[in-house]
Order: sequence, then structure tokens, then C-alpha cells
Amino acid sequence: MSDAAGHREFGVKVAAPRSADNDRSASNPFSTCRVRPGALAYLFPAGLDAAMLVERLRSDGWRGQIIGPHGSGKSTLLAMLLPLLSDAGRDPLLITLHDGERSLAAHRATLAKAGRRTIVIVDGYEQLAPWNKCRLRRQCHRQEHGLIVTAHKSVGLPLLADTAIDATIAARVFQLLVPDETLVTRDDLLNAYAAHPGDLRETFFDLYDLYEMRRPRKE
Amino acid sequence: MSVPILTVTLNEPREAYQPGDTLSGTYQVHAPPGGESQALEISVLWTTEGKGDEDMAVHSFERATVDETGQIAFLGPRQFSTVLPNSPLTYDGVIVKIRWCVRLRVFLARGKQLVEECPFRLGTIPAARAVLP
Repeated sequence: MSDAAGHREFGVKVAAPRSADNDRSASNPFSTCRVRPGALAYLFPAGLDAAMLVERLRSDGWRGQIIGPHGSGKSTLLAMLLPLLSDAGRDPLLITLHDGERSLAAHRATLAKAGRRTIVIVDGYEQLAPWNKCRLRRQCHRQEHGLIVTAHKSVGLPLLADTAIDATIAARVFQLLVPDETLVTRDDLLNAYAAHPGDLRETFFDLYDLYEMRRPRKE
Repeated sequence: MSVPILTVTLNEPREAYQPGDTLSGTYQVHAPPGGESQALEISVLWTTEGKGDEDMAVHSFERATVDETGQIAFLGPRQFSTVLPNSPLTYDGVIVKIRWCVRLRVFLARGKQLVEECPFRLGTIPAARAVLP
């Protein structure tokens, strides 16, 4: 988001285009820097907002799960919650697990030093082996840490949010990225979304390619 | 609350700089009295942009903070200058793009940051074109 002076302010909803080319219009609106978690807003359904989720977490003892399919915005929602958790007096400790990362061995030292106000946040929780899931939950319980996880299906924690999306939500996010629809249109979005229903990430990957094919270039 | 206004200008704006050229300019933080600026960083750096993981590297870097008396030591225009490296050159590709810029970053209270970027081109590699299958 830009302030009145046109500067980008970090830690808020929508990042401005980050083009370091002399031609700012050259920036593809579906580039990673525009759509990654933290750069793009998470659009809440009507009647829900981030502050309400923080209150929900508080009442559930700072434990919760964010459930949703691949590419539906789980990490984006997490990125939006992080500063609010800090504002609520907690210390969020974000651990992002990648494909095949079955243990938290690389994070043991950090976890051991975590204080009582820590909320351990595991993005990609289902990557963990069953034994390591149990170990983490026991450790969080013993040390009075909060625990928030993202997963594709329920892992037995209190439900914080379900990020499943539909074409209407996809269109709202699209409009944030491409307000003028010059090179890529809403019809393009709907076609791409039909090929990847429920998966905004893959949808935007397709639109990235489409944008590059249509974008005029300086010789 | 009013926030600082950041400016970055190049001394010799050009269509493109070449490796070995000196890039120089001026930056300034117009901070209101009693503002919350804690520190600033001025960097010359490149980043990648595309549909995959992003990469970046800092070519030159300078940081200024408040002094012992709490006064902001970086008010007023300041100069930066650096000799540009041989690579990577600015590239407007389909899968990935390489961007160069001068980045002024001001750190405010409570972890907030303001960023102003002044882009420039290093080298003159022509843009790539996407080809339909």
C-alpha cells in the first residue's frame, strides 16, 4: 500500500508494483512480488475481518487451524495476521515447511528459546511426520505456546478460518491486481480459474504467462 | 500522523548505465519535527521479478541511525555514489526480469518501514519476447 506521498509501507495489505525498470507498466501484475503472501490482501468473506480472527484465537487459547486447498490463500491470511498477533502482545514464530520437510529439526533451537508469549505458526503443517506433529503439540502445550497451523484438511485444532474460494472471490482479487484490465481481462481470469478451480496461485501463474504474451515490449 | 517524505534523485539520469559507470545521486528524508524515524538505509541493488522465487543482491549499502542524543543524524540531503558492476545486466525477460534500483528505506517506530525506489537500467540487453506455441 502506498501512503499519500507515494511511498510503500510494509506490513499492510496490498503492495504497490515493485518495478525497478524505467517503464513501470512493464511490471507483470501476476509476478511473485505482487501476489506472494504479504504483498496481496486476503479478502475476507462478509462479516469477518482479521481482528475478529485474533479474538477467535484468543478465546481458543491461541490455538487454531487455517484450512484450505492448495493456492487458496492460507499463507496470505497468515501474513496478514502476523502483525496483528504482535499488536495483541504475542510473539509469532513463523515456520514455513516445504515439500518433504518432515521434521522441525532445523527449528529446534529457536523453539527451545521461545518465550511463553510465543505463538508457533507452522505453515504446511501436514508436511510433518505424525510423530513430529505429536511432539510439536506436546511441546507447545508444555511450554504454554500458542499454535496455529495451515493444512489442507482438519488436524483437530479449533477452526480459525477456511480459505476455500470460488470464482467470485477470484474475480475480486483479480480486480485488485488488474483494475484496468488492459492486457488480461475478467474472461481470461474465468478461463484460467476453470482450469484450476479453487487454486488462485495456479490461476495467476497462467495469467502471468498470458500477460507476458500480450505485453508490448520496447525494441 | 505525518510521515517522512523520501526522495532519491540521480545526478545524471540516463536511458541506461554501463558496467563501470559511476552512479551517483542525492537522497533526503523530509521528516517532520519529532517524527518517528529511527534509521535509514540507502542501497544500490538488483532484484529478480517473475513467477518463481525471487532473488536479490545488494551492490552497495549505507545505514544511518539516530545518534546518542536521539537526534536524527540523516536529515538534510546526502550523496551516494558507486561504481556499477559488470553484471547482472538489466533484463526484461518472459520468465524472469532483472531490475536495478537505488532503494531508500526508512525505519519507523513499531517495525514499520517506508521505501522509495529510483529505478535505472544497467546495460542494454533487448527485451525478450514470448512466442506462442
